[in-house]
This record gives sequence, C-alpha cells and structure tokens, in this order.
Amino acid sequence: MTRRRERDRRDLSVLATILRYELRMLLRDTRTILIAVVAPLIILPGWILLSNRVERSDERRLEEAEYRYAVTGSEAAWAREQIAQALAWQDPDSDRPAAPFSFVETSVPEPDSALLAGDLHLVVDALSPADFAAVLREELAEAIARAEAAAAEGGGGPDARAAALAQALEDSDFPLGEVRGVRLLYRAQSDFSRNAQERLEERLRRIRAAKRDSVYRAVGFPVPVETVAVVVEEDVASAEKVAGSVLGLVLTPFLLVLMLSGGSIIAADALSGEKERGTLETLLTTAATRSEIVRAKQLAVMVVGLAVAVVNVANLAVYLGLGVLDLPQGLQIGLSVGQTLALLFLFLPLATLVSAALLFLSGVSKSYREYQIYFFPLVIVLLVPSLAPVLPGMELRSVIAMVPVAGIAVAVRDVLLSGVDWLFAGIAFGSTAAAGVLIAGWVENSLSNERLISSAELDEADLIGGAALFPRHVFQWFLGFWVVFFVISLWYGDDLGAKGQVVVNLVGIFFGGSLFLIRRYRLPVRETLALRLPHPAAWLAALVGAPSALLVGVGLAELVNTYVFPVPEELLRAFGESLAEPGFPLWQMVFFLAVMPGVFEEIAFRGVLLHGIRKRWGPWATALAVGVIFGFFHVALFRIVPTAFLGVILAGVVLLTRSIYPAVLWHILNNAMSIVPFQLGWLPEDFTPPSILTPVAVVTLSASLWLMWKTSPREPRLAPRTSPSG
Amino acid sequence: MMTTETTPTVQVEGLRKTFYDESRGEVHAVDGIDFDCRPGEVFGLLGANGAGKTTTLRMLSTVLRPTGGRARVMGHDVVTEPEAVRESLGFYSASTALYPRLTARETLEFFARINRYPPDRVPERVEELVDRFGIREYERGRVEKLSSGMKQKVSIARTVAHDPPVLIFDEPTVGLDVLNALEMVKVIRELRDEGKTILFSSHIMSEVEKLCDRIGVIHRGRMLAMGTLEELRELTGEHYLEDIFVHYVTRTEGVEGVELGAMGELEPAAPGDGEGAEESIPQGADAGGEEA
Repeated sequence: MTRRRERDRRDLSVLATILRYELRMLLRDTRTILIAVVAPLIILPGWILLSNRVERSDERRLEEAEYRYAVTGSEAAWAREQIAQALAWQDPDSDRPAAPFSFVETSVPEPDSALLAGDLHLVVDALSPADFAAVLREELAEAIARAEAAAAEGGGGPDARAAALAQALEDSDFPLGEVRGVRLLYRAQSDFSRNAQERLEERLRRIRAAKRDSVYRAVGFPVPVETVAVVVEEDVASAEKVAGSVLGLVLTPFLLVLMLSGGSIIAADALSGEKERGTLETLLTTAATRSEIVRAKQLAVMVVGLAVAVVNVANLAVYLGLGVLDLPQGLQIGLSVGQTLALLFLFLPLATLVSAALLFLSGVSKSYREYQIYFFPLVIVLLVPSLAPVLPGMELRSVIAMVPVAGIAVAVRDVLLSGVDWLFAGIAFGSTAAAGVLIAGWVENSLSNERLISSAELDEADLIGGAALFPRHVFQWFLGFWVVFFVISLWYGDDLGAKGQVVVNLVGIFFGGSLFLIRRYRLPVRETLALRLPHPAAWLAALVGAPSALLVGVGLAELVNTYVFPVPEELLRAFGESLAEPGFPLWQMVFFLAVMPGVFEEIAFRGVLLHGIRKRWGPWATALAVGVIFGFFHVALFRIVPTAFLGVILAGVVLLTRSIYPAVLWHILNNAMSIVPFQLGWLPEDFTPPSILTPVAVVTLSASLWLMWKTSPREPRLAPRTSPSG
Repeated sequence: MMTTETTPTVQVEGLRKTFYDESRGEVHAVDGIDFDCRPGEVFGLLGANGAGKTTTLRMLSTVLRPTGGRARVMGHDVVTEPEAVRESLGFYSASTALYPRLTARETLEFFARINRYPPDRVPERVEELVDRFGIREYERGRVEKLSSGMKQKVSIARTVAHDPPVLIFDEPTVGLDVLNALEMVKVIRELRDEGKTILFSSHIMSEVEKLCDRIGVIHRGRMLAMGTLEELRELTGEHYLEDIFVHYVTRTEGVEGVELGAMGELEPAAPGDGEGAEESIPQGADAGGEEA
C-alpha cells in the first residue's frame, strides 16, 4: 500500500518536472513568444487604428474634394436650375448644416471623354421630353421582356407585376413626351465620381419629393404625405439574446482556432522537434514512462493553448472596454455566473481534445516542417464540426451531442441562447473528452513505435526511393489531392459547371495524379492498377452486386439521415438539380457521370491508393481506409457515408478478384443506375426504394462477394515470410 | 566490489530483433545473441556499422522491443519491467542530444528528477556532478551556447545523473576529436573503477583494445566470438585486435572480402543483398571463450 502510494507520488513528480521544464524552455524561446503571443496583441489594435485612420482620411478626402461636372444636352439651362436647387437643399429634419459640398461646373469640349479620362467627375445629361420618353420606353420594354421570360418559366413573381404596370402605363395616355429628365453619367471605379453621383442624385430626388408633396398639398391631399403607409419594425428579442445567438455560433470556432494556434507553439516542438534534435531518444531512455511523457506534454500544450486563448480574449475585451474597437451594432454580452461556469465546463474537454490532437500531429511528424504540413488539415477537421450550430435543423437532433466538438459547439450555443440542458452538455462533454483520451492513447502508442527511433538508420527505403517508398507516402499524396480537389470545387465549382468539374476532377486530379505517382515512384503499372483479367464468375458477381450495393447504400444513407446527421431536403434537391442540367442529353450524362468516374476513380482509388495501402495494412483495414478516403472526395457531407460504403465494397472487390475490371464495371453500373431510370422516366424523381428491398439486397450483395471470394485466384504471397531460423 | 563479481547485472539470452522492411523484407538486425556483464567491468561490443550493436543496446535500454530471447538489467526484464530497467541504467550515444534551451545545471537536475532520483537529494547530487565533471564554470550557461567539449561533459553527467549501476555507451566517441575521445575513455574507466557495469560499443579497434575487459565480436546480428583480449589472441593465433576481428569475419563470410577502411572502420565488401540470415554460417559455437 505505502509502496504503491509512494510510487504514485513520484509519478506525479516526474510528470510535474517534465511539464515545468517544457514551459520553462518555451518561455526562453523569445522569438516564438514574440511572434505567437506579443505580435497579435500589437498587430490587432494597430491594424484597427490604421484602418480607422485610413477610412477617416478617405472620408475627409471625399468631403473636401472639389467635384467637377459638366452639363450637356438640349435642356442644359433647366438642368442647371435643378442642380442649383439640389445643392442648396437642406435637410429639414437635421439640425446640422449639410456637409460642405463643393460642386463646380467645368466646361470642357468633350464632356464624355473627359469623364472617362478622369478630368470630370460627373456629366449631367439634360434630356428633352422626347429623349426622356425614349429612354423611359426603352426601360419599359426591357421590363416587359423580363416579365415575359419569367412568365414562361411559370412564375408570377414581382417582375410580372412590374411589367403589367409598365404595360398599363404604356397603354394609358400618360403624357410621356412632356416631361424632362436628367441622366447622371459617372465612373463607378472612381470613389470620387461615384460619390458625386450619389450625392447629387440623392439631393435631386429630395427636391423632387418636396415638389411632389407640394403638388399633392396644392390639390388638397387630406393628410400629410409622410404618414401614409408607414412601416415600423420592432425586434422582440432582448439584446442579450440576439448577441447570444450570434456569439453562440462563433464562440466555439473562435476559441478553437485560438487554442489550436496557441497550443501549436508548444506542440510543434514537443515531439517532432525533439525527434529532429535527437532529444526524444534521450528522453525515452530515462525512467519516465511513456504515459508520463505524453500526459506532461499534453498538459503543456493545453496550458499554453488556453493561455493564448485567454490572452487574446482579454486583449479583445480591453480594446472593447477602451472603445478602440466597436462591437457589431447592438451586440451586448451579458454572462451570468452560471453561464460562465457552464462554458468553462464545456471548453475543458475541447481543450483536452485539441491538445491531444496537436500532440498526435507532433508525434506522427518526423520534423517541425512536417508538422506544419499537417497542421492546416487538422484545423479544418476540427473546425468543421464546430460549425454544427449553423446547420439547419440541428437543434432538433440531440444525437449531435455524440459527435466530438460538434456537441460542444451546439451546447455552447444553447448556454448562450437559452440555458443549459445538462444531459446534452454532459453527453457532449463525454464524447469530446473520450475522443481526447483516445487520441492521447494513440500518442502514447506512437512513442513505443520503433520507427520513431530507428527510422534514421534502418530506413534504407528512404535512400533507395522508388516503389518501396510509395506505401509510406501514399496518404500524404492523397491528402494533397484532396486539398486541390476541395479548393477547386469550393472556389471554381460554379464557374466550371457540372461537366467541367467532372472533367477537371477525374481527368486532372484523379487520372493525372495517378499517372504522376506511377511515374514518380516508378510503380509497376500492371500490378499497381491490378490490370489482369478476373475469373469469369467475377463479372456475373459484379452484375448482381452493383444493384444490391446501391440499394444497401441507399438504406444506409437513410439510416444515417434519420439517426445521425439530418440532411436538409433542399440540399438533396439542389444536388439532384445540379446533376440534371437542362440540355444535357442522356448519353452525355451516362458518359460524364457513370463511365468516366467508373474508369478514372477506380484507377486512382482502387488502383494507386489501394496498391499503396495494401503493402502496409491488412485487407480489412485497407478496404476501410480506401472507402473512407474515397468518401471524403465527395464534397457534400451527406454523400460521404454512401460513397464511403461504395468505396469499401469496391476495394473489397479488387482485393477479392485481384483485378480492377469488375470494380470498374460495378462502379459504372452503380452510377448509371442512379441516373438512367430517372431520366427516362421509368421511375419518378422522388422515388425511394421500398425498405423491404434492403435486407434482400444485403443477401444478394453478400452472395456476390462470396462468389468473388470463392473464385478468387490463389497466388503466391508477394513476400513469403520465413520464420527466423533457430 | 569483489563479492558482486559473480552476479551478472546484465543478462542477455538468445536476444533477437527482426525488422520488416518494405524493400528488403525481413531483416534480422540481431539474430540470437547471448552475453553477460558484471559490475566493475567494461564489456565491449565490436562490430562494423550495421552489425547490430546499436540495436542490441537499444533493446537493453527498452527503446526497441526484442522479437525473441530475453534480456535483464539488474534482474528486471526489459519487456515486462521497462521502467525499472531504465531507472537502473544510463544510456549515452552520439545521437542522444541535450535540450538546447536548458542550462547545464538545469539539464542535470531535470534528468536526475525524471530518472526518479529521490527528489530531496537532487540538489546535493547536482552539486556533486557539477564538481566531478568540471562543469562549475559554465553551469549557468545554456547548452546551445556551450562548446562541443563542454556539451560532452554535460552529456556524460546527465547519463549518470541518477547514479545508475549500469551504463551503456553506444559508440560514444563518434564525431569527437582526439582529445575529447581520450577524455571519454578516461571517464568510462573511472566509472568502471567505481564498480559500474559498462557496456561499450565501437568499431574502433584501438579503443576497444585499450578499454574493454571483455570483447564480443558481433557481425550481421550474431556474436562470432567473446572473451578477453588474451583469450581471443589464443583462440585465433593473431596478436592485434584488427586481425582477430578480420579472422572471425572472413571465416563467417567464407570469402576474403573484408577490407579495413580508413580509421579502422570495417566495410564488408559486397553485402549480399542484406539477407544475412540464411547464408551466414553458425560459427558462434567454436568461438566459445565463454569462461565461467
């Protein structure tokens, strides 16, 4: 008993020693401290002050500028009169005199080109009644054309009403040809020109309204014009509630980013840096246990991450308090003690998870540089679930509490918005903390990983390069492909359109990437892509398996949709529509959405990727990894589960048949079956297969895979393992 | 010290380490070796680069996990009681670096503490080490600012910070200049005279000749011969350790393909595709010399 207690005490002392020294070393790293902690403190207010000053000086310049304009057209004299009135106009509601406004008429021979050249800020084109009528008619004709187009689409929207109005105006005997008008010509790219136009137009409209009102009054309009059809708005939510809903959405991601960047200061150096410097071996040969090392370092990451978060939040608060920075309009933060405690309770597991994840990153990286490469994807992985409260329909799903980070984010929003649901918060706490503990366990295991120590000497593959190195690099490459894929679909998706995106992804990234890897690592093409003919029965199995897997996949998606992750109906519909672009003939759809993916995705995922993973992992893990990675290459979240399922099955097909061809056939069939029946009208668009089919499909899918397994060619193992002699 | 002569502090039996390498398949880095070490002696592992010396010593320090056989340090098994093993040994190699941002003194304190030296006696111990290794002058200097000779002293001091009974020096003189290398040898001798068990590995003949009480010739993961220098001389009929080494290695290789490189470093010619295990002839038996 006493010995045991003695041991525990000493364990804590070792842990405390490592933690203490870790922090001491960090504090001595002045450059890091300056860049990571001090710089943001100075940069933030500096940036705000600077941008405020720039804005003010811009305003002043606009105020003080002398605006040059010219008057053209046949009614110039009338227009000058209007302008003079407009410039003299005073806001009757305001006590302040209108801002000084220096407008100077300048006569130039060619006003239009002077405007383009920047010599003038504004050209006032005074239109004779005839010209003005022509302009008006042109606009009316455009409105009518727009309305007709809208009517053809089946809508009776506001445009249709505007057109009806326009038509009525046209038909009436409104004296179109008797009114004069002015047209203001300006250059939108110049602040000055735009400002001149805005100001003059506003004043012109004001005097016009004043004139109109005086006309109304003159003909005996019964009530003051301003009191007609007044709309008043009133927000019934308290200011705190409004602030809470906004803050609730941004608080978790904001703190997450702060903790990630802060924790990184120490995590980047904690294991990868020690590996690089050779101190890790020193540390591992001491009597400190692996778990003491990991826990101490995790604590250090947590402490620093929290400290940076606190410093930055405090920094922000100070500037808010000093009034250097303004909160967005009406945002008032009022936290009760209970709310504050609840928030602290919720952020604790988050800090644990973040520190474990950062340390994990550090553990798998061989150097500081490698750590930095992995950092960005980790930020994305943690940030995406923290945005859960933004998703529509999310408040109804308490299952989200089970998702690490996402549960915390939703609970935090609830705390700020309404109050604490302790059950939900408890589950969210548990799931996130569990994820943190799990990851910390991985780190501990990774410290027992021998590659950590011995890689430098035993990895001849590093020197030989080529095919032997590929299995170790395959994940990094696909991560790179994913980033490219993600960026393209995020930023250029709309410009490319469905067809363009398909071509860029399939031919550019998947096929191009595959060819690049094959060349770069000098991979044997036949073996890598499994280009061999399968047993004839495999074809039959693929024909049966494809529809079965599709049905099972649909059932699975349904299950996920119901119990885990709700997919908004609109999203599904929008996705369906994006596929079915109008004027996209069926053969093209089949070609672009079934045949091309079938070929190129199989080459990339079930060819190159599978080949790389298979050399290191067992068949089950390989199939699972290939499937999950394949799933993540489908941007829409709700497609990840079904596509990952398909990916796992197809990887299994390749592993069983030792050929890529049945998987290609399967993939093409799979995609074609989700297009053709709907396009040809065999099935209604909102068709969902009866759920009774799912168990049947499970059976036929199993039968198909079983057939592949039975007819699987037996080949000698690639590397026969001889048991060591003696 | 004489009384403990008979009880081995390090016991290695049939120790084996097999790596799996994607390009070469299974690599038998250590292929079943046996030896014992006793307090007050320096046991030298002599072998070319890649012979398995470092792998053996890393298994003893529990950084690597054996794939076969067993090893004990102060009676503790390296697999089942790794912490107890590490607590009773100090590990020094050219690749075990120090934390650059700690001072010399802090380094010693840190390693004494995490090696579970009784906390209340740590300050006293640090003083002792500072005096003994002549660190006093620069005890408050950060390690990153020290010269390589100073670093070496701090490094040795941190290895013995917790006063362990067993010390492992894995190629400690690699990369040191002549004077520092001599200093290292001198320190190791002193430690031996204090009754520590010392495991020393090197590919430099003269060092092994001068320093080691017993020598194990290791090649391709196997112990080809073991004994005192005198015993090995008798067995082979050669006088110089270099010749003794070549004698054993050439017999194993079955060819006279071994050449001595510069600095006495051995470079086995034509390393037959690495698959050492199947072609190596089990010659260990006649190399005997395992005196009681």
